Amino acid sequence: MTTRHYLGVDLGSTTAKAVVIDGLGGIAASSTIAMGAVSRRGMQRAIDAALESAGLETAELSGTVSTGYGRKLVPGVQRTFTEITCHARGTSEMVPGVRLVIDVGGQDSKAITVGSDGLVDEFAMNDRCASGTGRFYEVLARALECEIDDLGALAMQGNDDLEISTMCATFAETEIVSLMAQDLPVADIASSVHRAIAARTLALVAQVGKRTPVVLTGGVARNPAAVHFLSRALRVEVGVPEQPQITGAYGAALLALEADQRGRPVQDVAGADHLFPRTSHDEPGHSCAGCDGNLAGPVDLGASIAVRR
Amino acid sequence: MTVPAMERLVRAARDTRGYVAAWRAAHPDGKVLGVMPMNFPRELAHAAGLLPVIVPDDQEPVTEGRALLPEFYCGFTRNLADQVATGRLDLYDAVFMADHCIQLVGAADVARQLQPETPVFFGMLATSLSDAWAGQKVAEMMNTFREEVEALSGSKVTDESLRASIAAYNADRRALRQIFDERTAGSTAWAPTELQDLVASAMVMDPVEHLALLELARAEKVGQPRDERVRVHLSGHMCHAPRRELLQVIEDSGALVVDDDLWTGRRFLSTDVDEVLEPMEAIGHWYTSRNGNLPCPTRVQHDADWDTWLVESTERSGAEAVIHLMPKFCEPHMLLYPELRKRLDAEGIAQLLIETEHEGIPLEAFRTRVEALVERVLRKRPAYA
Ligand code: SF4
Repeated sequence: MTTRHYLGVDLGSTTAKAVVIDGLGGIAASSTIAMGAVSRRGMQRAIDAALESAGLETAELSGTVSTGYGRKLVPGVQRTFTEITCHARGTSEMVPGVRLVIDVGGQDSKAITVGSDGLVDEFAMNDRCASGTGRFYEVLARALECEIDDLGALAMQGNDDLEISTMCATFAETEIVSLMAQDLPVADIASSVHRAIAARTLALVAQVGKRTPVVLTGGVARNPAAVHFLSRALRVEVGVPEQPQITGAYGAALLALEADQRGRPVQDVAGADHLFPRTSHDEPGHSCAGCDGNLAGPVDLGASIAVRR
Repeated sequence: MTVPAMERLVRAARDTRGYVAAWRAAHPDGKVLGVMPMNFPRELAHAAGLLPVIVPDDQEPVTEGRALLPEFYCGFTRNLADQVATGRLDLYDAVFMADHCIQLVGAADVARQLQPETPVFFGMLATSLSDAWAGQKVAEMMNTFREEVEALSGSKVTDESLRASIAAYNADRRALRQIFDERTAGSTAWAPTELQDLVASAMVMDPVEHLALLELARAEKVGQPRDERVRVHLSGHMCHAPRRELLQVIEDSGALVVDDDLWTGRRFLSTDVDEVLEPMEAIGHWYTSRNGNLPCPTRVQHDADWDTWLVESTERSGAEAVIHLMPKFCEPHMLLYPELRKRLDAEGIAQLLIETEHEGIPLEAFRTRVEALVERVLRKRPAYA
């Protein structure tokens, strides 16, 4: 039995996720708070909720790692990792053997190929475009006047044979309104838009190469139509972990655990970097899946900069 | 108070207009030639008494020029069109261009159409360098360039003046290369933004003046050993300087640039003009040998390819990853990129593509990508003993 606990925080563009794990990597508690743009308050609420649910105080944590666009905002972390690394790590733990992770977050999408060792092989992210992201589905639900949670079920009832000319999150609303003005069935519009989004996701996957098994993560993975159409576009079954939104935070917590197993870092290191003792990759208990290659040696990641032209 | 040499170089690099104004004040009868990248031999213009300035992307937003070239032209060419449309290209008495890419030809055409009072000379250079007749054709065009700069300046390009210009530019390039070599060897920690300023200032300044400042700047530079960040090679063919903020984000995300093949870097310095050959022959030889020294995606040569050059270059520099900087929509680079990617994949070299735009680069998204690349590479580093 272990009494050590680790916190992973994923501060994304629209939601904050926190996961507490025990010393064996089991999830002790998790929380997801939707707060709009990267929000310190949302982050704190997510952390507080996860800690409360786990019955822990901050001081009882043996390590914290943060990820997501707001990763540098999380106080008291030992390390930050990108969401690419954390999603790969968390998903490969939840779905052993996964080779392709498609994560659709609030404002971006990623395709990540994972090696047999559970490490990131290749990754691609959508560029400056909210098409197919959580934000896009919100726009779609609003235009179709349905609840976001009902969108997938609605799309599953329709025919997907309408031509959708724009996938731009900004223009989609007008496009959809114009389709509705033609009295086309709402379910058919929802279905066709889902089909078109899945086709765009294929382009992202093409950048890294299709591998199986495929797992969809992120909030959008809870939408059955998104999973269905993606599966059809990829022509393979697309798996969804039980809690698809927390894979990044879970991966971050696992990285905190693995760093601790290697070096037992002090708890209150200021900033993102700290010194771990150097050991060897093949030392008993070392897992490269949580290792940054320095065997947790010093890495200067993400000092703050003020960019001026 | 004397201004430190580096600061003067930075000023020239970032304020072309200011440097040209000062040069004009010191040379009341002198003419300034705007030179389009990358193939025009500045030595010829310098030997005729002109100040040949490689026209930079001045990083201003594209406004009135938006209507002159389509959106699918690269940001640099649209910026050039904007410089024409807003009168910023008036800085130059004439604009010369040796063949490069079709989009740049379009930008030169905009200048010709909208600024009829400014001579715009476009010279076609053989692009297929493996052809037997390429050398002869290049020699003919170099002679035409010589006649054109003579007509513009009203001065003859003598063998003697050309030899002097060749020597001056060679000396400046050599000194710059030495600095780049020091960065690659890890003995002096020059930031990519600093090196960019050194090269960008060389593109603007008189070579003798530039060399003098460069030597001072090098002496002022305090040696600093390299740190443990992931060593990356910056690869690209963009005809302008990458945004400084992008270079800063790359180095701030755990990567350390140890080498490059950028135009505002090694690509500019790849080839000296032979000082033994007859000077006009040497100028032609400079052009025909550049592609072999650092392959260009706009040229064709059977025994030179960029992917092999890149792999060999990472072996020399010890770069652990390659970051490709590709401007949207740079056709020459876009067409070759799949080859580069396949080859680096086959060699097991980690890589990242960053597609840049003239305006509105998503720095935070790029930061995440660079950090993810860094995390990937660090995991592959051999264990410490
Ligand atoms: S950046 Fe590319 S497209 Fe633009 S001028 Fe240069 S070679 Fe041509």
